[in-house]
Amino acid sequence: MSIPDYMQCAEDHQTVLVVVQPVGIVPEDEFFRIYKRIASVAQVSIRDSQRNLYIRYRHHYLPENNEWGDFQTHRKVVGLISVTTCGSAKEWPQTSDRFHSQKDVFGATLYDSRLLVFGLQGEIAEQQRTDVAFYSSYDVCPDVEKRVEDFVESIFIVLESKRLDRATDKSGDKIPLLCVPFEKKDFVGLDTDSRHYKKRCQGRMRKHVGDLCLQAGMLQDALVHYHMAVELLRSVNDFLWLGAALEGLCSASVIFHYPGGTAGKAAGRKPSLAQGQGQAADAGKRHRPGALTANGISADTSSEIGRAKNCLRPEDIIEKYKEAISYYGKYKNAGVIELEACVKAVRVLAIQKRAMEASEFLQNAVYINLGQLSEEEKIQRYSILSELYDLIGFHRKSAFFKRVAAMQCVAPTIPEPGWRACYKLLLETLPGYSLCLDPKDFSKGTHRGWAAVQVRLLHELVYASRRMGNPGLSVRHLSFLLQTMLDLLSDQEKKEVTQSLENYTSKCPGGMEVITLPDGLKLPPVPLSKLPIVRSVKLLDLPVSLRPHKQKGLLENNMSTKSPFIYSPIIMHTRGEERNKKIEFRWVQGDVCEVQLMVYNPMPFELRVEHMGLLTSGVEFESLPAGLSLPAESGLYPVTLVGVPRTAGNINVNGYHTSVFGVTSDCLLEGLPSVRTSGCMVEVIPSLPRLQLSTSLPRSAHPLQHSKEELSSSVSVQLFNGETQQLTITLENIGSEDLETLEVTSKTCNTKEKLFGEFLSWDLEEAVSQLPLKPGQSVTLTVNIKVRLDFSGGENLLQDLNDDGISVTGLPSSSPLRQVLKPRAETKPLGSESSKTDYNHVKTLEAVMTFKYSGGAGKVEGYYRDLTLGVHVDVEPSVFFTRVSTLPATRTRQCHLLLDVFNSTEHELTVSANNNQDLVLHASECQRMAIQVAKFDFDTLPQPDQEAVRYTNPKLLEEERLHTQASMINSTLGITWNIPSVRRQGEASVEGVLNQLVLEHLQLAPLQWDVVVNGKPCDCDIIADCKVGDAVPLEVKLTNRSKNAVGPFALTVVPFQDYQNGVKNYDLQDAVTFIGSNTFNIDTVNPTEDSVCMGALLFLYTGDFYLNIKFQDDNAGQGNEVPPSWFGLPSIHIKALEAPIEAGA
Amino acid sequence: MAVCIAVIAKENYPLYIRSVPIQNELKFHYTVHTSLDVVEEKISAVGKAMADQRELYLGLLYPTEDYKVYGYVTNSKVKFVIVVDSSNTSLRDNEIRSMFRKLHNSFTDVMCNPFYNPGDTIQSKAFDSMVTAMMVQAS
Repeated sequence: MSIPDYMQCAEDHQTVLVVVQPVGIVPEDEFFRIYKRIASVAQVSIRDSQRNLYIRYRHHYLPENNEWGDFQTHRKVVGLISVTTCGSAKEWPQTSDRFHSQKDVFGATLYDSRLLVFGLQGEIAEQQRTDVAFYSSYDVCPDVEKRVEDFVESIFIVLESKRLDRATDKSGDKIPLLCVPFEKKDFVGLDTDSRHYKKRCQGRMRKHVGDLCLQAGMLQDALVHYHMAVELLRSVNDFLWLGAALEGLCSASVIFHYPGGTAGKAAGRKPSLAQGQGQAADAGKRHRPGALTANGISADTSSEIGRAKNCLRPEDIIEKYKEAISYYGKYKNAGVIELEACVKAVRVLAIQKRAMEASEFLQNAVYINLGQLSEEEKIQRYSILSELYDLIGFHRKSAFFKRVAAMQCVAPTIPEPGWRACYKLLLETLPGYSLCLDPKDFSKGTHRGWAAVQVRLLHELVYASRRMGNPGLSVRHLSFLLQTMLDLLSDQEKKEVTQSLENYTSKCPGGMEVITLPDGLKLPPVPLSKLPIVRSVKLLDLPVSLRPHKQKGLLENNMSTKSPFIYSPIIMHTRGEERNKKIEFRWVQGDVCEVQLMVYNPMPFELRVEHMGLLTSGVEFESLPAGLSLPAESGLYPVTLVGVPRTAGNINVNGYHTSVFGVTSDCLLEGLPSVRTSGCMVEVIPSLPRLQLSTSLPRSAHPLQHSKEELSSSVSVQLFNGETQQLTITLENIGSEDLETLEVTSKTCNTKEKLFGEFLSWDLEEAVSQLPLKPGQSVTLTVNIKVRLDFSGGENLLQDLNDDGISVTGLPSSSPLRQVLKPRAETKPLGSESSKTDYNHVKTLEAVMTFKYSGGAGKVEGYYRDLTLGVHVDVEPSVFFTRVSTLPATRTRQCHLLLDVFNSTEHELTVSANNNQDLVLHASECQRMAIQVAKFDFDTLPQPDQEAVRYTNPKLLEEERLHTQASMINSTLGITWNIPSVRRQGEASVEGVLNQLVLEHLQLAPLQWDVVVNGKPCDCDIIADCKVGDAVPLEVKLTNRSKNAVGPFALTVVPFQDYQNGVKNYDLQDAVTFIGSNTFNIDTVNPTEDSVCMGALLFLYTGDFYLNIKFQDDNAGQGNEVPPSWFGLPSIHIKALEAPIEAGA
Repeated sequence: MAVCIAVIAKENYPLYIRSVPIQNELKFHYTVHTSLDVVEEKISAVGKAMADQRELYLGLLYPTEDYKVYGYVTNSKVKFVIVVDSSNTSLRDNEIRSMFRKLHNSFTDVMCNPFYNPGDTIQSKAFDSMVTAMMVQAS
């Protein structure tokens, strides 16, 4: 007996063994169908007695094992059921012969046998035979079970008779010695008459009867017999049989205590009783009719007690088992019995939950040497060990043996390694090594486990699956290994693993589908989220020029629909939803959007990631995958993934997609808690047109200094102060939508410089007329850049404004400009940069032009885009006025404006003004320029709007007024400069140098005086002619244009003669006579009214006379003084001529 | 003396494992790993009765052909496992106990290190040298 039955359990001792075998050719599936039906009759209640017979069916049994039948009767084949197919009556004799020869195999032990014949019809089938049943086909055999039951009953009868036969066989007859096969030769020549021998025979027979009783359902009798057998055998030191008797005792006790069975899986045998062991035990004690009423003994309590005594207590069972096993252990040939006893004991212990002791039994079982085992037997043995360890809760040990079994399947000595079985067994070990093939379990923190063992196991899985010819599985396991054990692999291992992964994926690329194994186990996909490791995910806003903006009005509408409150301190979203947080900015349908990932490569070699793309939901999204190559153990490395949303709505970036070493993985962010992100949801708005801006001026590299906002582009230009430059801007629609609206605004950046005039000016009309602009079309816009800055050194230069110095050859020594001029010449080539920190003679002017445009579906939704153009102008001083003063002109309505013009360029330039001669200035030369100008009547300037006046600051109003006045003066003067050498020209503005005093001088006085001599209006440079002796009428007219009434005034006319040598002769009483008073009185003149007073003069001699009209203010004391400048009365030059002769006659 | 010394966390993963024949380290991993079954069984068996006064030393966990495996469980359920060569018959139970006590003291020192994160693998040099001292010396 060499092959142990590892499935044995204690209650098998009460079963009778029936072998079911096919005879001749029987289809396997049909046979097993019948076998199953037969096997369903596992327990038969015997009629007329309340005993049960349990049957164990085998379809395969070694006759060799049958030889141990005397040792333990449940090993004896007592019944044979043969199944055969018989097509015709002809075959019948042959079939019958076969059946008989088969019977002969187990002949010695068989109690009874049956033949089930399928397919035979006709005469033979008609005959009624007890040992043969005929059925027309495998499908029509309704009474198979009935037949089997009958068969079992017949077995029972034989069994019962044998039992009675042996049990009553106590008389002095010679009891035969029962022995096991290997003992036979030992007893040859032994004295059969010795007391010792007899006792041995008795003991063995007792034990045998005990077995029979147990099988026949008489538990209590069995116990008694076993006890007696133990006594007998112990006295003769027949250890093998003593062991058997003890084991029998144990089995009977186990059957008594645990009617639910100890086999675990086979518990279904008595399903009605097998609910929980404790309950079942009680139930068994109460409801075992077979035991209690065996031999018809009534179930009185006394006998119950007696029986309970015979039965072993649960805790003693194991002691007896131990003893039995130790006895078995003495015999090398009883290895199988010992092993099986161990297995049975373990099962009992498992039920008793005594794992420690069970493990000792198992430990013992491991060492039982059964001689040369075939590989298959080894596998079986290890598997069963594993199963038993699992049964007692030693999962690790179980896993260990299962793995050993798996390795055994593919041992090098096996000609055809069973990789499939190996793989299957390996998979079963996973729980024992607390390894789950779902990578999600590993995403929490660092890996904790038996890494070395787990890595080994995974390697084995990979290898086994590869040898199985399923590279897909290998790839899956390798990916899992890489993903979960990456930190635990050495650099060398990492290299090896990835290399083999690449090898496998070349045959079978790894994907994201769930692999389902034939036995139903599902292998979830393994996204390689550690190759590379992603640290953060950041959705990027569109570039400035493409960012969409919402029309203000519409935005507010949207807000109000959300909540009735303008502000609420209650934050609606909880913090946990940070990942789902919506991001402030928006993406635009059809425009490329970017997401930035910070990744790093944990591998010690270069990592090539292919097809890295985004996984999104919510919006149709066209991901544009990128390939990247990360250097070995790179630090954080930014990677930008791009894609184009194809529809509008809310897009959610769920994760990313990679392909590494041929394994494609979808890494979802929710599964990666270590990834930092500031929100993954962003709104995609409908498409908008896109404009590209190009300019005629070169682009500037550096951004504007004063502007904080981001600009799409900027241009820079260098201009002389006063120069005008044209900038042509071309706007091309490079998007796919029509451009429907275009607005242009500009903003001068906040500078301290005072700017005169409009910096940027354009005419949009023409451009707008070309709208809508189809994709690919372009429109141009011309912008004038005009720079007019104040370069005069500030108030210092103007402090002595009214100083009417005649010649200014240079700058006043106090002027800061003078000090600056020298260094400027030195730093000239370096231009603006070097002198930034210094007093900067080059001034900078910056402005931002904003092109607001919209169109397409986005416009309907109220979105627009901005394109900004920064204009940076470095303004170099051209000419400026260091000093301004006025000189009264000969005419009261005019005056001379004296300008000290300074050429600050290094070129020769000409300055010209309206109605004036050109002035040539050399570099850094200063010259005075006099321009005769008519005085200005500022009252004719448009008055600011009353509404505006009310709301603005008076100071601002004043500035505004000054500004308009200055620009009027400026435009009247029209001073231009021209640098012929570099062909640059521009305007020179006096605005900055004008101040209040100068303005007053330039302003027409509100009181307008007109002097008319001899009917002719007279002014300083007009010489009025008159004749000696004639009365010359003198008329003085005052027009009041001020806002208040003026006067009354008194004017005195004083004549004098100028000898042109500095002497003025006022003593002219003899030469000039007044007709009437020489004093004119003018009454109060109301605003806008005028008043005229008349007088007359008489010249007595010829000559040049001057009249000085002097003003006497009569109201000096009354407070409403009138500024003296208002009394701009011309002095009058009168030439008295000789009267004609005839007049004198 | 010992051929393998292991410290196993409460959650049954190794905090430290070291064995003398380096080439067959995996074998000891298996040995220690499977010994945990016995450790758990022993703890649960005793735990029911007197959890407080439980003896920390678990004694021989199981013998294999070549080795004997001894176990020790701290009150915080951290397990120490020492594997000794079966051939080394001179080793008494008391010596094994004292080895465990030393191991426990050293482990306590490791835990007292404010820079040690409970649950991380032990990398302390002091602990390592102590273990080395307990390992078999060349013989």
